[in-house]
Amino acid sequence: MSEHHEHTESGSARSVEASAAAAATGGGAIAAEHKAPRYMAVFGGLAILTLIEVGVAFLGLPRAATILALLGMAVWKALLVALYYMHLRFEPGLLRLVAAAPLVPAAILILLVMLEY
Amino acid sequence: MATIVAEGTGTPVLELEHEIPFIRKYVFSTDHKTIGIQFLFMSLFFLLVGAVLSVLIRYQLAWPGKAIPLGSALPETMAPDGIMLPEFYNSLVTMHGTFMVFFAIMPLLVGVYANYLIPLQIGAQDMAFPRLNMASFWISVPAGLLMLASFAVEGGAAGAGWTSYAPLSARPDLSGVSLGQQMWIISLVVLGLGSILGAVNYITTVINMRAPGMTWFRLPLSIWALFITAILVLLAMPVLSAAMIMLLFDQTIGTNFFLASEGGQPLLWQHLFWFFGHPEVYILILPAMGFVSEIIANGSRKPIFGYHSMVFAIIAIALLGFIVWGHHMFQSGMNPTLAMSFMISTMVIAVPSAIKVFNWMGTLWEGSIRFHVPMLFAVGFVMMFVIGGLSGIFMAATPVDIYIHDTYFIVAHIHYVLFGGSLFAIFGAIYYWFPKMFGRMINATAGKIHFALTFVFFNVTFFPMHGLGMGGMMRRIYDPQQYEHIAGMQDTNVLVTLGALGLFATGLFFLVVFFYSLFWGKKAQANPWNATTLEWQTPSPPMHGNWSEIPVVYHGPYEYSHPEMERDWLAQNERPDVVSPVAHSTADGS
Amino acid sequence: MTSHAATVESVLRRPEPGLGVYDKKVGMWVFLCSEVMFFAGLIGSYVILRFGASTSWPMPGEVLNVPITAANTFLLICSSVTMVKAFAAIEQGNQRGLRGFLLATALIGALFVTVQIFEYRELIHHGFTPASGLYGASFFTMTGFHGFHVTVGVICLLWATQKAFRGGYTQEDHEGVEVIGLYWHFVDLVWIILFTIVYLI
Repeated sequence: MSEHHEHTESGSARSVEASAAAAATGGGAIAAEHKAPRYMAVFGGLAILTLIEVGVAFLGLPRAATILALLGMAVWKALLVALYYMHLRFEPGLLRLVAAAPLVPAAILILLVMLEY
Repeated sequence: MATIVAEGTGTPVLELEHEIPFIRKYVFSTDHKTIGIQFLFMSLFFLLVGAVLSVLIRYQLAWPGKAIPLGSALPETMAPDGIMLPEFYNSLVTMHGTFMVFFAIMPLLVGVYANYLIPLQIGAQDMAFPRLNMASFWISVPAGLLMLASFAVEGGAAGAGWTSYAPLSARPDLSGVSLGQQMWIISLVVLGLGSILGAVNYITTVINMRAPGMTWFRLPLSIWALFITAILVLLAMPVLSAAMIMLLFDQTIGTNFFLASEGGQPLLWQHLFWFFGHPEVYILILPAMGFVSEIIANGSRKPIFGYHSMVFAIIAIALLGFIVWGHHMFQSGMNPTLAMSFMISTMVIAVPSAIKVFNWMGTLWEGSIRFHVPMLFAVGFVMMFVIGGLSGIFMAATPVDIYIHDTYFIVAHIHYVLFGGSLFAIFGAIYYWFPKMFGRMINATAGKIHFALTFVFFNVTFFPMHGLGMGGMMRRIYDPQQYEHIAGMQDTNVLVTLGALGLFATGLFFLVVFFYSLFWGKKAQANPWNATTLEWQTPSPPMHGNWSEIPVVYHGPYEYSHPEMERDWLAQNERPDVVSPVAHSTADGS
Repeated sequence: MTSHAATVESVLRRPEPGLGVYDKKVGMWVFLCSEVMFFAGLIGSYVILRFGASTSWPMPGEVLNVPITAANTFLLICSSVTMVKAFAAIEQGNQRGLRGFLLATALIGALFVTVQIFEYRELIHHGFTPASGLYGASFFTMTGFHGFHVTVGVICLLWATQKAFRGGYTQEDHEGVEVIGLYWHFVDLVWIILFTIVYLI
């Protein structure tokens, strides 16, 4: 903590990158509380997953396998964004419930209507 | 005997500006009470519009082909020589449904009372986002005016029914209406945006702004109902907006989402519409149930019977509401397995609905009932809702539904639920909270006359419709004498129309009483009904900011006839725990 | 709760209600719930139209330019990370970091929309329009509404940037940055889903 405070105090004199690095390793009250989300690592994960996705789409795997793999990776990326960038991992349970609530009717809508076709 | 202690938190309330310019105070106000009252006037206006349209519809059905009195004032495109054209009749049916559902009942229930009651009943000073709240009202007004203006454009107002089934609504050349239909769509998308913003506000306020001690299970049932309703609006409305926008694209830029001839899926519209439409039905009834619970507990001078089961029933109805939409589509053709599951889930909804009805009866049982005007409407609500609910079970059963679908039976059903249900509860709520809103009472005799006439004319109008429907009269038929089997029931149709005219006259009587009381009614006290919830513990009408001191809540919302007390009510912010020889006092929190 | 057995203990119990999260953040999450349902309506329709289509649906890359859009996706991911960096900066009271990252986010977002507009122009030029069948209709509706959301986001970000340059956010009070960030990340999240199901599947 104290280290980060020093960072902060001298932060205005330093370059943007330096203080950004401090943020990446965790700084400030909330970040310290929730064990420093590694924003750059998440970013790397998102970029790599996107590359793999494009690769898989043109690999010529069986259609069902392609769709499953792509959907799986899309959900993975969406979760990364929601949990880390949107800080859901560090929010109280009730707020997570609020965030997850619409997924139920959304799934009902899509799945039940699909039964028709 | 006990001393009643009412306490505030001691939290000094926010210092609010004292001099508010007229336009900020009455027009672009951010005070939730003013916004609620603005919604009240707006929706009463549209209620009147919808009522006028319904009278025109009924006139045509009783005396088809006869010139409407004063009808020659209507333009040639609607009624040449006062005789109504079929196209105009289609517009009337469509716009009556649209105005009543979206611009009258929904804002009356949600716009008026969610705005007015939520902060007052949970002990907050205002909504979480007052400016957003103002925006949601000023978004709704132009939406309504746009809808109204569509009567004046070329081709007339939308005529594809309030459900606007595709492809009739998707191709201008099929319904003969192009601009009117597009205005209908845009108006509802705009209104939807306003409703969603409102819902965000209500939900956040209830979650985050309750007074100290106001736990979830101390919330008044009206707040529970409005909270769950706001969730339904939040989750169902956007689906309608998405569908509407696709429909608009079909109309304007040549897409073909809902046109089977081009590979589109007309049934997709029905799925999306009813995915919204069925939760919408509960949006239109849940708040009514909340108000009725409030009024019945007050009128019976008893705690509400089964508070927790009431809350869980509301939640259950809302959840089930999302998996039953298919019962509107049995006749459209669907996978029989799917139809079966929709039928079962629909019937399951009868369980929580019945729980609520039994709880209301349990509350009335052995109560010392006071039939004040709100109570009359609340009891009327329970009776009418039972009839409407039972006829709903007919429709839930696929084999029966296929026979009576799109007949007057369903018209009877929806009016028993929406008029006999929602509107009765709304009248009850208006009489109940009028003193709080305007600081004046509505004359009780006038109110009782209004109730008696409404009750009689309502049943004269809508009960015979069950028979008309069983006899095969179609829901949107223009001229019932076209068919022999319906022509034989013409006397019933005339009776229904006479009932409707009586109902309309009663409505005008109510408006006169309402506006008379607004200016010349007897001054109201802070708590004229001896009620227990927080809004009655502040002056009528409450000041800007609601409280002189934020109240503290000690117990549930319906502590009537507490055995240890002489007075038969105990407000939520009062505590009876200090036993002393002093008789009760009437502290009211301020 | 409505029973008369209101004991002294229960009377004196005074739980502090509320979520422990400030209003604006709760409000934004609640609003995002409705956004989820809006896109669920559009995506659901797309899935159903595609399942029920009588003619065969084009394979990925046949009509749409996947490499350019993949690059555009990468842009949006970058804007998400700059957004979260802006938030992390102001949490530490770093005003310069906040301004720089907010401005970067807005600019990258604007760039995304620009690329999308050029993509549309190119597609329409080749005869792929909203009126040219279900594929075109659903493609333009879904990506169009996403683009609209990005545009709204860029406007909000520009507003937040000018506020940041006037020193409107502090280490103690920067609710606005987090709330706009939530919206921005949501828009990114929607694109992640749309890119997969529209371009790749």
